[in-house]
Amino acid sequence: MSTIECRKLRKDYRRGEEVIHTLQDVDIDIHGGSFVALMGPSGSGKTTLLNLLAAIDRPTAGTITIGGRDIGTLGRNALAAWRSANVGYIFQLYNLVPVLTAYENVEMPLLLHALSAKERHQRVTEALELVGLADRYSHYPRQLSGGQEQRVAIARAIVTRPTLILADEPTGDLDRTSAMQVMDLLVRLNKERNQTIVMVTHDPSTAARAGRIVHLEKGKIIDAAEFERAAQIAASGAHR
Amino acid sequence: MNSLLRTIPFTWKNLVRRPLRTGLTVAGIAVATFLFSFVESMRDGVVKATEAGAAETRLVVYRKNRFCPFASQLPQSYQRSILNIEGVKAAVPIKIVVNNCRASLDVVTFRGVPDEGYLQEHVTQAQLRSGSVSDWLSRGDAVLVGSALAERRRLRAGDRFDAAGVRSWVAGVFDSDDAQDRNVAYAHLGFLQETAQRGGTGGIVTQFNVEVDDPSKMEAVASAIDEAFAHDQFPTTTRPESAFVARAARDVIVLVRFASIVGWASLAAVFALIANAIALAVRDRIRDHAILQTLGWTGADIAWMVVMEAAMLGAAGGAIGAIGAHAAIAFAHLNFTMEGVSIEVTASNMATVAGVVLATLLGAVAGIVPALSAARREIVQGFRTA
Ligand SMILES: Nc1ncnc2c1ncn2[C@@H]1O[C@H](COP(=O)(O)OP(=O)(O)OP(=O)(O)O)[C@@H](O)[C@H]1O
Ligand SMILES: [Mg+2]
Repeated sequence: MSTIECRKLRKDYRRGEEVIHTLQDVDIDIHGGSFVALMGPSGSGKTTLLNLLAAIDRPTAGTITIGGRDIGTLGRNALAAWRSANVGYIFQLYNLVPVLTAYENVEMPLLLHALSAKERHQRVTEALELVGLADRYSHYPRQLSGGQEQRVAIARAIVTRPTLILADEPTGDLDRTSAMQVMDLLVRLNKERNQTIVMVTHDPSTAARAGRIVHLEKGKIIDAAEFERAAQIAASGAHR
Repeated sequence: MNSLLRTIPFTWKNLVRRPLRTGLTVAGIAVATFLFSFVESMRDGVVKATEAGAAETRLVVYRKNRFCPFASQLPQSYQRSILNIEGVKAAVPIKIVVNNCRASLDVVTFRGVPDEGYLQEHVTQAQLRSGSVSDWLSRGDAVLVGSALAERRRLRAGDRFDAAGVRSWVAGVFDSDDAQDRNVAYAHLGFLQETAQRGGTGGIVTQFNVEVDDPSKMEAVASAIDEAFAHDQFPTTTRPESAFVARAARDVIVLVRFASIVGWASLAAVFALIANAIALAVRDRIRDHAILQTLGWTGADIAWMVVMEAAMLGAAGGAIGAIGAHAAIAFAHLNFTMEGVSIEVTASNMATVAGVVLATLLGAVAGIVPALSAARREIVQGFRTA
């Protein structure tokens, strides 16, 4: 994956007379194959930024350029195809489809890919095994615990082997051990498959496992350089 | 195209995994389509019985201003005069005895016809389900029973059959393309004239069925017949058989026309049912649609899924309703008889197919507006409203 360049990104929401500046002049480069942790207080715009990176939302102003191409110029269908090929999104709320089983939820994004039924089955099985849910194929979301739902959502996001994984608090609802396992998995995907990861987290020790930490506050990136240096030191320690 | 096909299993799961909601919606559609198809079959029967075909050659000569077989009395001797009229190929004196003159669902109609000619020409060996014409000829009280009447009264060759004051013996059961024939019992003319308790005896008949040698002469022959007896003691009114049936069945025709409105209104109910079910489903699934679009499905895919789901609901309900109506009609052997004339309601394939196709189409159309609104919704907005 090429570098993602965000330039002067702005996102405003209008609520009646009031305009909320959710993101203000965000400039950030996310290098292909990097692992970025996004931190910041509630309401600081983390999910909003992730949505813009996933191209499920459009900025009020500014550009997102990937491999030299401004994705703001793409139409809805082209963006959908781009997402299908490149993006795996792990939502803050798991967002599984309730009428589908765990297996079918994970299979859903693959239906848009040119794969045989057999290949699809292999991919889904592999993804569910990676998140440790091989024994929950036929369970519906309502029959799963929060942590299990989260892991199905992770399997769904990685099953297409996307170049860019966006994760909105992927360990938020997990106990320590499960959280560790999920982080191990993300780090492995980043290292072994060279998948770019942008992960929102409130937990400093989780953030420390990323290669880089970006702080958002009131829609602005603060002291990026300073945090980056600190994060790199922490990250190199974490990976031995 | 490929992704459109790939949405079908998902649409299917959405339907079958919400069995209560799908079941209730389909049941509603089925009831409405049942009504529609049923009424359309009825209308079909009436149209078939009362609309003149281009090749119609049969006239019915009836007593002027009389509308019931009991009251229509004509001398059998008219036959000779009618046969002398230019264009007449055959004239059959017929005595009709019914157990009920008014519109009813279970009327037994006896038609007395001459021993010679009529039945031999009318009922071929192939049409006979049981018994034979020679059995009929061999007994004075014998009747040949049309298949619809036989089924209604569970009659078989060799049975005794007492109705409308006529005590008869069933010589055979026959099939016919003609609804009038399927619903009568053919007796010997002389036998009916003797045994009929009302309507006089000996030499009196109810009507003449006249065959004209050329369909274009129908009108001319009819007025020639009526003119011939205009100043007689027993004046006549002569009409093409279809017009005769239409006159006798006028009340039923009005009724069926009204029912037809109800039938079409029930299609409006199908539309409303599906539109409502789909609008609710789409509202419930705003989040699901946002998820799918995040995964790479397009707005067009979402719209297609919604329309497909609506069409599937329509098709399922429509099929159950229309096929149910078909079965109900085939099973019930519905048959209105009034003034000795029968209108049969037979299961119409057209009405069945129309029921299924219209319900499916209405479903698809009802899905369009919800589909478009689902397709146009911004993804992020979808996550927030859900
Ligand atoms: N569609 C919207 N309409 C109005 N306001 C919005 C909308 N989406 C987001 N906001 C506002 O933008 C701000 C940032 O929201 P966002 O979800 O990005 O925060 P966040 O950093 O992810 O917070 P959290 O850690 O609680 O998830 C909030 O004040 C939110 O109310
Ligand atoms: Mg958030």
